[in-house]
Amino acid sequence: MSEIDRDSLMAYLDNQLGPDDRAEIERQLATDPEAATEAALMQRQADAIRTLYGPAATEPVPSRLSPHRLALAAQRRRWQGLARAAMIVGVLGIGMAAGWLLRPWADNLALYNRLIADAVSAHTVFVAEGRHAVEVAGEETDHLSSWLSNRLGTGLAMPDLATAGFSFLGGRLLPAPAIPGGRAAQLMYEDDTGQRVTLYITPKTGVDGPNLELVRFGSDNALYWANAIITCTIVGPQPVDALQALADSVFSQLTPAAAPAPVYREL
Amino acid sequence: MVDFLDELEANVPALRRYARALTRNIDRADDLVQDCLERAISRRGLFRSGGPVRPWLFTILTNLHRNALRTERRHGPTVDMDTLPELGTPAPQPAHMALNEIARAIDTLPLDQKEALLLVTLEGTPYAEAAAILQIPLGTLMSRLGRARSALRQLTGATHEPHLRTVK
Repeated sequence: MSEIDRDSLMAYLDNQLGPDDRAEIERQLATDPEAATEAALMQRQADAIRTLYGPAATEPVPSRLSPHRLALAAQRRRWQGLARAAMIVGVLGIGMAAGWLLRPWADNLALYNRLIADAVSAHTVFVAEGRHAVEVAGEETDHLSSWLSNRLGTGLAMPDLATAGFSFLGGRLLPAPAIPGGRAAQLMYEDDTGQRVTLYITPKTGVDGPNLELVRFGSDNALYWANAIITCTIVGPQPVDALQALADSVFSQLTPAAAPAPVYREL
Repeated sequence: MVDFLDELEANVPALRRYARALTRNIDRADDLVQDCLERAISRRGLFRSGGPVRPWLFTILTNLHRNALRTERRHGPTVDMDTLPELGTPAPQPAHMALNEIARAIDTLPLDQKEALLLVTLEGTPYAEAAAILQIPLGTLMSRLGRARSALRQLTGATHEPHLRTVK
C-alpha cells in the first residue's frame, strides 16, 4: 500500500467517508493496482463476515428476548422481592413483640443465674483475702446485723454455723446490680482446717426461678435457693451434701417462718 | 418506559447478530442478549442522559461477553469442535470453504480485535461510535481494525490469492 494509507482505505471500505473523500480514494485506487488489490481483499473479508452472521438479525426473535416481557418479569420479581421483604419485617416484628411480652420471664431466667455468678465472683475475690476478707468482723454480730438489715431493707440475722464446724468471720456489703435493691450481703465462715464458705444474700427478687439450683464452678460448688423473703447462694469447696446441710441450717435460722429449704437432689 | 422498551426491541436483531458472531453459538448468544436487555431494563434509571440507546446496549453486551469469557476461563472452557480453528489450511474450493475458514480465523483473533472488527464490518457502526462502545480512543480502534484485517488475511492464506471482488 504505497500512496493510500491503511486507515483511509479502511475508512473508505467501511463507509466512514463523506462523498468528497470517497471520490478521492476511488480516484487513487484507479491508479494504484496494489492498493486496489488490498481493498478488494478487505472487501471480501467484510462480505464474508456479513454473509456468515448477517442472517442472525433476520431470524424471528424468540419471545424470551422481548423487552416488554422482560420488563414485566422484572417488575414481578421486584414485587415478589418487596413482598418477601415485607414478610421478613413482619416475622421480625412478631418475634420482637413476642420477645417483649416474654421479657419478664426471660429476665427471671437470667436473674438467678446472674446472682449465682455474682456470688461466685465475690467468693473467689474475698476468700483469697487473708486479713481483709471481711469488712466488718464477726465479733460485731449485732452491729453487722443491723447495718446489713438496713442496707438490704430486710431483717438479716447472722446465722450461727458452729454446730456444722464453721466459725463466723464477718461480712460485707456488695453491689448487686442485677436486682432492684442493688445490694447484697456476703457473710463468710471458716472451718478448723481454714476452708471458707460464703453466703451471698439478697432480699427476695420478686421474680420466679427455681427454688434450688446447684452449679459447679471448678473446685467450688454454688448452691442457690430462694424463698418468699430472701435469696441465698452458698459458695464453697465443700461437697454438695455438706453445702445442703449448711443451707438447711441457714434457712431455718434466717427465715424460720418460711417453709423448710427444699432438698437438692441430683438427677 | 414503553418508548424505552420499544427502542430496546428495535435493537434486539442487531444485538443478536453481534452476539452470534462473538460466540458462534445460538444459545449462548441469546443468553447474552437476554442478560443485556435485563440489565438495560434494571439500569434504566442510570441511563437518563437522553443519549442514543444503541451504543449503550452494545457496551453492556460487550462487557457481559467479556465477563462470561473470564468466568469460563476460571471454570475451564467449553469448546465446540466446530469452532476449533485449523490454522492456515488453504481453501480448496473458494465459495463455501472460504466462509468456514474465515469464521474459524475470526475465532482465533484476540478478543479486542474481534470486537472492533465485528462492530465495524458486521454492524456497520461509525468509527466514533465503535470507539465509544469499546471505550477506547479512535486511534486504538483503527489499529485494532488494521491488525484484525491483516491477521485474517494471513490466517485465511489469502495473501497471494487472486482477488475477486465479491458482490454484496
